[in-house]
Amino acid sequence: MNKKILLSALAAAVGLVLFGVVLILGEQLPVGGVGLCSGLGGALIGLGGGRILLPLLMRGMSPEDRKEVERAERDERSVAIRTRAAQDSWYWSLYLLWIPFIISMVRGELLWMVLCPVVIVLHCAFYLFHMYRWSKKL
Amino acid sequence: MTNRIAELRKERRISQAELADAVDVTRQTIISLENGRYNASLLLAHKIARYFGLTIEEVFLFEEESE
Repeated sequence: MNKKILLSALAAAVGLVLFGVVLILGEQLPVGGVGLCSGLGGALIGLGGGRILLPLLMRGMSPEDRKEVERAERDERSVAIRTRAAQDSWYWSLYLLWIPFIISMVRGELLWMVLCPVVIVLHCAFYLFHMYRWSKKL
Repeated sequence: MTNRIAELRKERRISQAELADAVDVTRQTIISLENGRYNASLLLAHKIARYFGLTIEEVFLFEEESE
């Protein structure tokens, strides 16, 4: 558990450093450097920060609720719901969307830089919809 | 597949939360099992049967579907 938090904190710190590099060096960075550093920095802050915030949010819950949330992580019905939702929403294709996103950041193409995250968010919403559907079925 | 979880639980005056705690699943999983929406894995079926001190066949009733 501590190792996970440490890794998350490290990811968030690297993300902040990347943002710092963009702020300090700015125009001095090579073409695509600004987009790449900002994008990766944002992603690392989001991933790392999210994993740090989650245990903090759980502290506000009652012990029963916290136990239920922790149990839901490994509960076989919850796992079945997540697996089936992932299959139905073609979740693996979400990882493919990161490729054009990173390419767009390196090349600095604004349209694709906006379009890719929108499609990624819609993809996640599609996954959540299937999670809801399967939670009603199972 | 049907099961006698609700019946056995009520017989022994055990709440869904207590059973969920004992077999390490969420209360929602117990609700789904009792409603027949979800079929337990062999491991969970074994845990539930052991909790009630019965065999899997005594708790879970397998009915072959007619063609």
